[in-house]
Parts: sequence; C-alpha cells; structure tokens
Amino acid sequence: MSMRKKILATLLAMTMAIGMLAGCGGGSSSGSSDAPASSDSGSADAGSTDGAADTSKEVNLVMYVISDRPAGQDVVDENLNKLLKEKLNCTLTINWIGWAEYANKYPLLFSSGEEFDIAYCATWLNFANLARRGAFKSLDELLPTYAPDNYALQSQTALQQATIDGHIYAVPTLLPTYITYGSIYRGDLAKEAGMTDTIDTWEEVEQFGDWIKANHPEMEVIDEYSSGPELSLVWERMAGNYEIDSGNRYIFYDPSEEEPKVFAIYDDPTIGDFYEMCYRFGEKGFWSKSALSDTDSSKTQNGKAAIRFHNVDTWSGYTVLHPEWDFQYGVMTSEIAHLPYTQDCMVISNTSKNPERAMMFWNLLTTDQEVYDALYYGVLGTTYELNEEGQFTILDTDLYSTSAMWAARTFDLNRNQAGVPESYDTMRAEWEEQIQDGVGIEKYTGFVLDTTNITTEIANCQNVRQQYGWPLELGYTDPVAGLEEYKQKLQEAGIEKVLEECQKQLDAYRTSLG
Amino acid sequence: MKFFKGFAEEFKRNRALFAMAAPAFILVLVMQYFPMTGLVLAFKNYRYDMGVFGSPWNGLANFRYLFASGTGWLITRNTILYNLLNLITSQLLAVLIAIFITEINNMIFKKVTQSIILLPYFISWVVVGVFVYNLFNFETGMMNGVLKAMGMDPVNMYGIPGAWPVIICLFNAWKWTGYNSVIYIAAITGVDGEIYEAASIDGATIFQRILYITLPSIRPTLVTMILLQVGRILRGDFEMFYQIVGNNGQLFNATDVIDTYVFRSLITNPDIGMTAAATFYQSVLCFVIIMVVNAVVKRIDEDYALF
Repeated sequence: MSMRKKILATLLAMTMAIGMLAGCGGGSSSGSSDAPASSDSGSADAGSTDGAADTSKEVNLVMYVISDRPAGQDVVDENLNKLLKEKLNCTLTINWIGWAEYANKYPLLFSSGEEFDIAYCATWLNFANLARRGAFKSLDELLPTYAPDNYALQSQTALQQATIDGHIYAVPTLLPTYITYGSIYRGDLAKEAGMTDTIDTWEEVEQFGDWIKANHPEMEVIDEYSSGPELSLVWERMAGNYEIDSGNRYIFYDPSEEEPKVFAIYDDPTIGDFYEMCYRFGEKGFWSKSALSDTDSSKTQNGKAAIRFHNVDTWSGYTVLHPEWDFQYGVMTSEIAHLPYTQDCMVISNTSKNPERAMMFWNLLTTDQEVYDALYYGVLGTTYELNEEGQFTILDTDLYSTSAMWAARTFDLNRNQAGVPESYDTMRAEWEEQIQDGVGIEKYTGFVLDTTNITTEIANCQNVRQQYGWPLELGYTDPVAGLEEYKQKLQEAGIEKVLEECQKQLDAYRTSLG
Repeated sequence: MKFFKGFAEEFKRNRALFAMAAPAFILVLVMQYFPMTGLVLAFKNYRYDMGVFGSPWNGLANFRYLFASGTGWLITRNTILYNLLNLITSQLLAVLIAIFITEINNMIFKKVTQSIILLPYFISWVVVGVFVYNLFNFETGMMNGVLKAMGMDPVNMYGIPGAWPVIICLFNAWKWTGYNSVIYIAAITGVDGEIYEAASIDGATIFQRILYITLPSIRPTLVTMILLQVGRILRGDFEMFYQIVGNNGQLFNATDVIDTYVFRSLITNPDIGMTAAATFYQSVLCFVIIMVVNAVVKRIDEDYALF
C-alpha cells in the first residue's frame, strides 16, 4: 500500500513539473518570437524618421566590454556621463567581463535575453558566427541614419567584412591594424651579440638564439607557453601564404595566385624543412620541454625570454614597459595587409531598446575628440596626461587604464602612448604606402569563412592541431614520423571536407569581387 | 480519478507535513528539474534571436562531433577509468585514515593530523596546477633538480603520457581523502562505544575490533558514498584535469576526459547545441549506470540501495 502511494506521489510530482514546464516553454517561445518583430519595427522607424535625431528623452545605454574593470573606473564614468548628458542627453553604463571568464560569459550575454545596447565584438569573439545566429541587430538602416559621420569614414572593405548573410551587423573599427607578424626581441642583447642587422630571418633567429644560450643560459630563447606555438604561422606568412581563418591556422592559400588553391599545412612542400628546423631549435633548448604546460604569458616582457613572435602592437606595448631593454621588431611577413576591420568592432544587441541613441552615441564617440578622450583615456590630469606631441601617459596604472572598447579607436582620434619609438609610426606609414586596395592579401581580408556546414570537422581538426600539431611544432616529436601522424589524424578528423568547403567559399568570394 | 481522490485525502490528513516538504520540493523543482528543459538544445541549431524553444531542430547533428573521429570512445573510456580509479583510491584511503584517526588517543595529535589531512581540500586546483608544473618542469622542476643532484638523468614527465594517470590519481587522493574521511570519522564516532568495550573485555585485539566492529558499522556509509560517486562517473572533474594537464597535447590520449575534450573543441568556436549534446550524452550514460548499480546493490541488500 505504502509503495503504491509512493509511486502516486512521484507521478503527481512529475505531472506537475511537466505541466509547469509546458507553461514555461510556451511563454518563452512566444517571447522570443516577439523579438524579430520588434527589431523589424525598430528599423522601420529608423527609416521613417530620416535621421532627425530626437534626444528629448533621457536614456541610459548599457555597454559590455571585455577586460578587467580598472579600480579607478568610477572617476572616468562620472566624467564621461557628465559630458554625454550634455551632448546627447544620455548616460552610459559600462559593464566589464573579466579575462578569466569571457570565453564562457560572452556568448551567454546574447542567449540570456538581458537587455543591453552596445557590446564589443571581434573576429576572435566569433563575430560572424554570432551574427549568423541572430545575436545582433541589423544595422543596414541604423548605421547610415544615426551614425552618418562614422558611416562616411568606413571603407568599402570594412563594410563588406561587417556584412553577414546580406546584412550589416557591426560597426568596424576605424583604426587599421596589420597582419604583420614578426620577432619582438631584446635590442640590448642583440647589440651585445654584435647583431646589427634586424633579426627577421630564421638564420638570424638561430644565430641570436645560439648566442643567448651561450651567454644568458638562464633565459629562454623563444617565448613559448601553453597557448601554443605560432612558428608555423610565421613560416607560412614569410612564404607569402595566408591562413583561411584566424581560428584555423592549419589551412593556407597563396593570395598572389590568380585562382588561389587552399591547402592543408602538411601539403606545403617546404613544411618538412620547417619541422626539421623546429626539432633542431627544440634540441638546442630554445624553449622549455614543458612549454605547453607553462601558463606564464609574460616571459618576454619580464625579461625571462629573448624573442617572441607576435604582432607590432604587442611590440609597441613592450617598448613602453621596458625602454631600457630596447625592444626591436623584425617583420617576418612577406606581404603587408590590413587585418579584417572586424578585428575590433561594435555590435548592437538584439535586445537593445535604444538602438538609435546607441548609434548616435557611437557616431559622437568616433568623431569627437573630447568624448573619445573621456571614454578612452579618462580625465585629463587625473587619469592621464598628454605631452607636447599629444601622446598620452596613464598616471597611475594600478588605478586606471585605457578603455577596453578597442572598436572605438579611429585613425584620427587615437593617441600614441608616450615612449613608443618613432619607428612604430614610420613602419606603419610605410605599410600604408605598400598596401594597395584589392591587391594580394588585401583583396582577401574581407573573406569570412562560414563554418555552418563544417562545425563538426572544424572542432575535430582544431583538437588535432592542439594534440599533434603543437608538440610537432615544438620539436617534441620526431619531425618526419610526427608530421605523418599529424597528417593522418587531420584526415581522420575530416580535413578533406573542410578544405573542400574553404575552396568553395573562397572561389565564391573571388567571383563576387569580379 | 481514484488517484486524485487518494491524494486529496492524503493531503488533508498530512497538511502540516506537505507544508514542511513544500520549500524543498519547490527548490528541487526550480533548481534541478526546470533547467533540464535546456536539454532540448542538444537537438537544436541554437539561434540567439529565437531562443531555446524557438530554434530549429537539427536531429542528432550535434552529437556527431563527439564520435566523428573515434575520440568519443577514447574519452568515454578515460572518463570512466579515471573515475573508478579515483573512487577506489580516495574512498579506500579515506576509510583507512578515518580508522587510524579514531584509534588515536592523543587529542592534540588527533586534531592536528585531521586538520593537515583536510587542508588540501581547500587548495584550489589552479594552485595545484602550479605545483604540478613546478614539480615536473623539465628544466627547472623540483623532481629533476633532485634527480640531477643525485647524479641521475633528468626525466621529461611531459613526454611520458603513461605516468599521468598515476600523477592525477595521486593528486586527486591527496585533495579528497581528508574531506571524505571526515564523513567516515562521523560514522565511526556514531558506533556505540559499549560494543568496543565488550569486545575488548572478551579479549578482541585492535585488528579484530576494526575488522568485526568498525568496518561492518560503516558499511552503509561506504555503500552510499560509492553510489553517489558512481552517479557522477561520466563527469570528469574538469578543473582538476584542466589545471593539471591544460593545453599540453602530448598527454591528451592518456588524460582526456569528456569535459576537457568538449571544452577544447568548442572554446574557439562555441556552439551551445554541441555543448548541450555532450552533457546530454554524459547524463544519459550516468543515468543508466546509476540505475544498474543501484539495482545490483538492491539485489544484494535492499537497505543499502539509494532508492
């Protein structure tokens, strides 16, 4: 008898639960079907108001950025809000997602249904994937209508990169960044070693490395740690090849070809030499045998390593931190092009209630030096100061830092940090001169790989690269047998299908350019 | 109909009891059962603008990546073996330590020992990860430092995947034994002291007392603890594996569990549907395993079964 009662009670509990769940499910599905409708009406409004900026109602905009909140941020917020209230009758709340949690928390921003307006986005935050899955509001109408000045400054390439499935989903940055990778190395030690020429070939790297090993055995020669080696990227970029997608750096193509063919890294005829070289470097002890378990990402900037392969902005950051070490930069990329402008971009959340004001704010931020300074550097005299050339110095780096809304940077408004060597500017000016719109790699920077049909294979290849590619690149496995194994595992993971899809999309992109 | 009538009567009679159970019932419902609806995501192509229930179905596509290249079986096997190994070592050690501690008569020594053993439980895996790296680092690690000092060749632990199941198991035991032993100490303390007195008057040695009194009295606790652990057998302790092994691809074949594999595969290209599929797979297998084990336990002795 009591047994039966127990079962009855359980059944009852279950029916209640299911009943409530059904109710819950109905509620949220109707709620979500509202969402596209409201966004439609939003853009219709945008069209009808023909840009007449209505700021009579005070609104508070909410913006998400990725970084750890500086301790002294309150001062910056207060100052910025005073300014915004005056100019646009709005205030801005900046929410910070810390580095430790961004990978989990960022995608949840858009699935939680939380109402907010602006978010930082980027290629490395899966901009295209999120856009395709409906996380953002379409800016087709909003951008030209409410941010006309910003819109006028956008290049055709940039807008194309922000366009996913026929709609603009992001406002790309107005500060060009470059694909250049190269060696960031200790100038003071190079001088000591008698190496006067810029270190930008593998022979020079090896020569310098041997010298470091002999004279500064306490130092690591090449900075390698748990986020994986980037040597193969440098190798391919030096040969003029470019990766299909920043998340898939084992598939390359040669943009200088008339009809570029994508290829897997193991099909590069020179790759055997590369892995031989890596093995030799590894044997010489240029990096630790335990590098992949080392989580210290700041070895070069702290003087524990002599060379790091990274981009030019990392280098300029190091030069400011340690001018006495005279960090130098050797470009190891055969051809310079801009990084996709969506490398840093701004998106409007699907849930935004004030997309118009958000766009007006963005327009102001990217064209008005006063507002830009207030957001990006803070309060003059309190958080930062300027020197005669207009370069900034953050006054107390424990309390303040520059903004994490990197997408707001523009070529005109952005300031250099005081202490960055002059070569940084001359180098960039040189690159700007070299880059020709629509030629070489520049032609393909607008290409965005759509991974919808190959998610499974990409996830698996990604994993193989980490499991077999990285140890091979660090010379932990035999260069010949290891390469064979790497190739076999990539094939098992379905790389053929990925290559086919990449080729198809790349061809389609090329023909679309005409 | 009869059911509702029966329930209404029951409710009338035990109103107070129902009221008392209500908060717990609601809590479990809201915190444990409602989130389960999220499992539908495993079968959906999730879109942010359509939400959990509005997104289109896509059949079993989300499960494909787990098994596409044969890794699915490897990581499932690893997960189960690691959990079994950890279950056996940490419970066995916990029982041993609980017995030792309760047999110690010196109060100060007893308390100090217990605290020291419990201490690792409060150390985060992040910190343990740093320990491990500094122990086994090839160039500057402590282990190789000692080996070199003794005139032996240094060993590259990161090149020997086979050593890692042992290392992980040791660290797991180190961290959990103290915590688990507290539960057994409580169980042993609950045993009637008169039984021990009677036994020693009858001339039982300390080993006989442990074997015939202590162990049988903590058997229910032991079985319950094991059952609870078995329920999580398909869940790798993500933090432990991730902090100890991290991104070191050389060790993956020996150390990859479902949780770390899913994390790594999807970290660069997050897909809520695929993550949900992995969780769904783990949950279903866990469910099957716990049902089977519970049934077996019930067969042997009904009182020990969980339900």
